[in-house]
Amino acid sequence: MPSAIVVGSGAGGSVAALELVRAGFDVLVLEKGRNLLPGLGGSRPVGSLFGNDEVKAGRWFENQDIVLEPRTSRTQAEAQQGVARSFIGDVNTLPTTVGGGTVHWDAKTPRFWKQDFAGRSLYGPVPGANLADWPLSYEDLEPFYDEIERRLGVQGDVGAMPAATLAQAPRRHQFVMPPNPPMYAGTLFAQGAAAAGYHAYPFPMAINSTEFDGRPRCNSCGFCSGFGCPINARGGAALNFLHPAIRAGAELRARTLAFRIDLNAKGTAARGVSYLDDRGRIHHEQADVVIVAASAIETARLLLLSATSHAAHREGLGNRSGQLGANLMFHFFTLAAASFASNVHAWRGPSSTFTLDDLVGPFRGPEARAAGMPYLKGGNCEVGAGVLLLAEAQLYASLQGLVGAPHKDAMRASGFREHLAAIQLVGEDMPQLGNRVDLDPGIRDVYGFPVPRITHSSHPFELASSDFLGPKLTAICDASPGVVASQVLPTASVGGPVGTAHIMGTARMGHDPSSSVVDPWGLIHDLDNVYLADGSVFVSAGGFNPTLTIMALSLRMARRLAG
Amino acid sequence: MSDGGAPHRFVGRRQFLQGAGAFGLLTFVPPVRLSRLMAAAPAPGAAGRFLTAHELDTLRALCKRLIPGPPDDPDPGAGEAMVAEAIDLLLGAFSLTPPLIHAGGPFSNRAGASEDDFADFVPLDSHAELGWRIRLEGSLGRPEREFAGPVVGLQQIYREGLAHLDQQARSGYGVAFADAPTQAQDALLADPNDAATQAFVPVAFANSLEAMYGPPEYGGNHGLAGWGYTRWLGDVQPRGYRDDEVTGPDPATAGGPADKALPLIPPGSLKPASRDEFWLGRQAMLRGR
Repeated sequence: MPSAIVVGSGAGGSVAALELVRAGFDVLVLEKGRNLLPGLGGSRPVGSLFGNDEVKAGRWFENQDIVLEPRTSRTQAEAQQGVARSFIGDVNTLPTTVGGGTVHWDAKTPRFWKQDFAGRSLYGPVPGANLADWPLSYEDLEPFYDEIERRLGVQGDVGAMPAATLAQAPRRHQFVMPPNPPMYAGTLFAQGAAAAGYHAYPFPMAINSTEFDGRPRCNSCGFCSGFGCPINARGGAALNFLHPAIRAGAELRARTLAFRIDLNAKGTAARGVSYLDDRGRIHHEQADVVIVAASAIETARLLLLSATSHAAHREGLGNRSGQLGANLMFHFFTLAAASFASNVHAWRGPSSTFTLDDLVGPFRGPEARAAGMPYLKGGNCEVGAGVLLLAEAQLYASLQGLVGAPHKDAMRASGFREHLAAIQLVGEDMPQLGNRVDLDPGIRDVYGFPVPRITHSSHPFELASSDFLGPKLTAICDASPGVVASQVLPTASVGGPVGTAHIMGTARMGHDPSSSVVDPWGLIHDLDNVYLADGSVFVSAGGFNPTLTIMALSLRMARRLAG
Repeated sequence: MSDGGAPHRFVGRRQFLQGAGAFGLLTFVPPVRLSRLMAAAPAPGAAGRFLTAHELDTLRALCKRLIPGPPDDPDPGAGEAMVAEAIDLLLGAFSLTPPLIHAGGPFSNRAGASEDDFADFVPLDSHAELGWRIRLEGSLGRPEREFAGPVVGLQQIYREGLAHLDQQARSGYGVAFADAPTQAQDALLADPNDAATQAFVPVAFANSLEAMYGPPEYGGNHGLAGWGYTRWLGDVQPRGYRDDEVTGPDPATAGGPADKALPLIPPGSLKPASRDEFWLGRQAMLRGR
């Protein structure tokens, strides 16, 4: 029986684990976090330790604890000046738990577009960016998108999707469930979008609008993005893939930290993985195949930690190209908020139920030339999200400096929670060689290993795109019924630590080993049996939430491996 | 503060250890329902789970200025919500088993479930426990806690912060902070030249907001004081919302008057948590996912 070790139980790892165990592999899944879903892998319905609890979500319940495992960051300019780091803390951490990021994801599942896989050929180079085409096309991924959506339980309405979206991302089937009840603020924004000449439509998402897979329909509690689901109405890696994989015989070892991929003497293949168990003991596990799906930052870190004296792996596994860790992408979010005259309870529902694709681009007119760019691009939009109560209280304190009676007055009036709704643009950002993950030379985590250091600066491309598209978001706001004011909010992504939770690049795929880390199937160029199955392999960021594409790529890889 | 003082700056805090803090005695008790625990909450003048009686009185006075209630405000504030008592419970979290860090799930008994799962706190495993011991107790000079440098724990931050407030009140007004008039307390808290106070108040305020507006199982939000005047239903599972409560205006929560304009949000203010500002909690909003 062939054997496989999967590092990471999130979106990519769980998909691969299920496919391989069904193909007869002996599958071991190593997960750094603990399991917060009681009964996972058992014969009864899976439970949940999550609740409608903002305090718990803020206390690193499912997320990587930054006291134990901090990350560091600096800008490109600081790196050039020799600054080792300018920040220690939360740099785009994801849930570190069984199921990974999908335990509390927003579950939005747009497909990438045809043009996303061939941006370099279609629209040309961007100065200062390391842009390349993907070594595969939409058509290569389409059947796997289809299969993942059906297993995840994605809701939507093909009939309501814009023609441009269906031309760029053609579909063979209707979604398996109809859309959720449309959220009120989103409906008002959709009217504003129509008045502005745009087309908002039900956001495809992995949330049960009807009972599905033995799990109940969503009841719109509002504690969604950033919160584990108390009733498991939201699909994800753990529920839809890892749970059946364990039932089919895969073994999950939680609270294990993979710290090295062990190679054979010649450095041509992996023998297995070395890891620490929950008591800090070192284990060496052997396998025929190793699949790394620890998310783009942690995967790069593991490959860097696994460097050997072999020529091809001296700077990290498969890093002959020097591209390992580079091309880190986060998406460049542009956020507009509108204040409504009445209570629009924009928090009530699965974060947002509408999207629109009119701002994907590319835009090749005078706005691009004025910015010195061949074109500008944006992405899809999350239309109509809001904030919960404790988040509201924290925002008045942290953003406005309110405390005491003025803070309480703000809570009573509830300008943010009851009256505010947001539109968030998921903007494509450019791959750059200078935006990268390496091993911090001075800071170690609780396990004793160097923490990942993120060097990141935004490219003028995404800054100009955001400047161009922000006013279009406020135009939608201003055209929406009942809006009294709108504003583009400053983004956190400029010149500091990033917190977008969309993490891509660091081990890009390509045909040419001199300019990429993995081949079109995710196999590391210089190794026979080490595959990457997460956002690390992305060549470009697209303007869409990345998880569905991570899952489709992983399924495509695992299906080929399974034979 | 409320009298138009300069807004507090939320600045980070990085201090090196000055010595080992006191270890509270661990008293292992069987898991208890929070209702029983809170019925036994310390009365004024009694010691808390971590804080001394005087420290707890000082913290009560501080929290009442951060989140005022009657007579300064028409609605219940930190005093009525037992915010200081909840912070003391957090500081002394490891005096109970499991520690009161992460409430259980999936449901409380406020929205259709018969049992209050929230009250059954989730045990920490050894990894999570180490993180919270460092957070609460600090690194205490122990190598296994200082892999990424020393950390001043919340217990020490509160112990020193409360003592400092007292010292300032005594030197400025000749009385303990808790005994000073509220105007004097506000003036002390708003003093821009008092760096120690300006470093401490944001910590206390962040924890106060959790205790005021979070689920009552954490010991605060007593009588749902933080949810009443804000028209907030809190946790609503497993009942959830009806479709018509989602899709249209909700007359049951008509809301207050709208702001005329959005408040200006300064650039660079949306930032992830720094390791030395861990008390802020994860900024769980306005980030893409």
